[in-house]
Amino acid sequence: MGVTGSRRLLSAVAFVAFSLAAGSVQAQTRAETLRYVTGASVNTLEPNVPGSTREAFAVSLSTYDRLVSFGRKQLNGKWVFDLSKITGELAESYEVSPDGLKMTFRLRKDAKFQDGTPVTADDVKWSLDRVVTAPILGKAQLLTGSLTSADQFKVVDPLTIEVTLPKPDKLALPNLATVYPIIINSKVAKSHATAEDPWATAWLKENTAGSGAYRIETFKPGEQVIMVRNEAWNRGTTDKSASFKRVIVQSVPEPATRANLVERGDADIVVDLQASDVQSLEAKAKLKVISTPQYNSVTFVSMNNQIPPFDNVNVRRAVAFALPYDDMFKAALFGRGSPLFGATWADAKPSSGAYPIPQPVKLDLDKAREYLKAAGMPDGFSTTFSFNVGQASTAEPMAALVKESLAKIGIKVDIQKLPDAQMSTQINEKKLPFFTEGIVAWLPSPDYFYRNFYTGNQRWNYSSINNAELMEIAQKARFEPDAAKYEEDGRKLNAIHFTEMPQIPLWQPSQDAVMAASVEGYTYQFHRQVDYRDLNRK
Amino acid sequence: MAAFGATVIRAGRRFLSSLPALFGVLVFTFLLMRVLPGDPAVFFASGPNAGKEEIEVIRKQMGLNKPVPEQLMLYLYDVGSGNLGRSMMTGQLVTKDLRERLPASLELTLTALLIALVSAVPLGVLAALRPGSIIDHGVRFFCALGVCVPTFVSGLLLIYVFYYLLGLAPDPTGRVDIFASLPPRRTGFLLIDFLLAGDFDGWWAAFRQLILPALSMALFVVAPLARITRASMLVSLGSDFVRTARSVGLPWWRVVVTYALRNAILPVITIAGIVFSTMLGANVLVEKVFSWPGVASYALDALLSSDYAPVQGFVLLMATVFVIVNLLVDILYGIADPRVTIG
Repeated sequence: MGVTGSRRLLSAVAFVAFSLAAGSVQAQTRAETLRYVTGASVNTLEPNVPGSTREAFAVSLSTYDRLVSFGRKQLNGKWVFDLSKITGELAESYEVSPDGLKMTFRLRKDAKFQDGTPVTADDVKWSLDRVVTAPILGKAQLLTGSLTSADQFKVVDPLTIEVTLPKPDKLALPNLATVYPIIINSKVAKSHATAEDPWATAWLKENTAGSGAYRIETFKPGEQVIMVRNEAWNRGTTDKSASFKRVIVQSVPEPATRANLVERGDADIVVDLQASDVQSLEAKAKLKVISTPQYNSVTFVSMNNQIPPFDNVNVRRAVAFALPYDDMFKAALFGRGSPLFGATWADAKPSSGAYPIPQPVKLDLDKAREYLKAAGMPDGFSTTFSFNVGQASTAEPMAALVKESLAKIGIKVDIQKLPDAQMSTQINEKKLPFFTEGIVAWLPSPDYFYRNFYTGNQRWNYSSINNAELMEIAQKARFEPDAAKYEEDGRKLNAIHFTEMPQIPLWQPSQDAVMAASVEGYTYQFHRQVDYRDLNRK
Repeated sequence: MAAFGATVIRAGRRFLSSLPALFGVLVFTFLLMRVLPGDPAVFFASGPNAGKEEIEVIRKQMGLNKPVPEQLMLYLYDVGSGNLGRSMMTGQLVTKDLRERLPASLELTLTALLIALVSAVPLGVLAALRPGSIIDHGVRFFCALGVCVPTFVSGLLLIYVFYYLLGLAPDPTGRVDIFASLPPRRTGFLLIDFLLAGDFDGWWAAFRQLILPALSMALFVVAPLARITRASMLVSLGSDFVRTARSVGLPWWRVVVTYALRNAILPVITIAGIVFSTMLGANVLVEKVFSWPGVASYALDALLSSDYAPVQGFVLLMATVFVIVNLLVDILYGIADPRVTIG
């Protein structure tokens, strides 16, 4: 009896000790794991595949390296990416020739792909050739940096690659730090190329062949991606591998569930919560909430400048002075963002040459009525205001306020809520008279915004504005080497924007990153996703 | 035995006669998707620089650059050879997506249906035994509540109470804890796969994930099942044979279960079949709330982005499931009421 009793006791103690040990091992791996939840999903491992999602971009930043990457800076106490500071990623160093026509990149000697083979200039050339030649997304992006042909990339020696430019383009170098120009292990990729698919895009969609900080462990499109750390990677800011051992990217479609998960500590970081949830989580002060105005994006109320009555500049001005900006800002965003209205411009001149800048517009119904009268429509008119289902949580309250306010000056508005695909089709076909949309630029320089969003008969020119002077200044500014002159061009463009009022900038919404108190290092990135390599746990 | 053979032959004949309907569904969905406004190519070419060229690339990739009749012929040929096309949204073959997601939906729906039947039939019988009593009113109230509360509301409430407040339920994100390892895939039904792998901790984990979504779905369908059970029980309890059975002094449970319920179960089976098919397609809200990787949320996402192939594949799948469920109901009929097979 005595013997069995003590043996039983012993086994009980052993069991408890064992389960405690197991528990702490589990806790440790949990602490070393980053669990990121999102409403969207990853649909490809190659960010260049047409149709790839932003979540796929974020994953590719961890699985692939680029030649260079953006540095970071503090903006109002928060870390954001720094367009003007470009540091080497796979490149150990780079230099730009004095005339700005040649860029030379020296590769890191210790850089290896995930299969252990060294990264060579041939791989870089193949990868860059691919981005500018294959029918993939990177082609149009690199075009904005005057990178258009495979002839521009030259292998000098196994560790040196030279890029030549037809013109000194300010955006050439930053373009190489964007999502698309990933450096691929060309030997592996070529072995999976076929006659129909010489650039192995089909294979790369489901497999990776990179040198990035993380390897893919599980990839379930639409559900989750699990990545494990590549111990050999040392391209971080401190020449160390990434901090988290494992990263889980999981799709959780319901925003309320995402908020619960992060509040209960089951998820570590989320960036796409509803503004109301963010506000209540911030008030509870248990979690860290970092709100950064998305300073490379703008939300607009757009008007089609080619369709009556919005082809009349006074109608557009009337609308601009009839919007209840403050109420909209509160109802749609709970004030989480930076407003682009209610400014005062000294001498009625733009306050700077940057884009976007706060506009001198505010709710002023008398002024709006005057403009309507000047347009020859003192009794107003009827129109529809459209937004897409995907933006309903912010656009729906906004649309109701627009309708209410415009009714006061006689403009009758019908609200139209469109499925996302339908909305983008109608925008592309220039059929919507009056709607709300947002834009984002990865490389937010004023000339870039004006060239892409205010010129040409193309989809991103939401307002369909066709202004010869604006087009000319924007094209000239692109290659303007003198900073003061560039600023002057920016001011001119901003002045035209205000006079013509093609569309009405409303605000820059905040990116609200909500994370566990122990997570550090979050940086707002140009792609508006979390760069998992930035993060660590205290 | 002969009766069983007759049932099989009849089922086979029924299946064959439903093939034209499936074909019609296929063609109709195909055309409907193309008539709907919304160009998938424009939607998917939404990178920050995607212009006309990118839109054309995607259009070509999806085969939308060809005339519609040609597209239809190609699609029918593909379907005939077992290929439902490729989803733009997930980048995968639709057949692969559906194969992975259908078991998730089926497992959830079957569990919910089981919970619903197990609670609805006794409730209906109880209500029928004492019509107009407190029990009857209680059942009616419960049913009304179940129908009135939309599934996503009950789902969110269950999550709030059992996960957020009490911490009893695991986090509502899919079929199994993200940190747990999955069993080798045999059937796709996690509860079965875990059992086959002999992993009982895993089975328990998967069961815990399943119970809340299944409950919120079950709540919604208890009402029709309980009401139909009550109604048909009332009819059969008032019938001559039950009176006879009572008068010869059979024990009450034998009267209720063997004679009354067996005769009352036919309409319940019919309704259960219909309820099952509806649940499978319409549980999209539950799937969204619980991040359940099922077919319904997949189809909704595809529809919103005008991703043709998954929507067409989903509708075809649902039609097939409907046909199979109807067949199954037929066979169950035969078992419940042998007279049916004579016809």
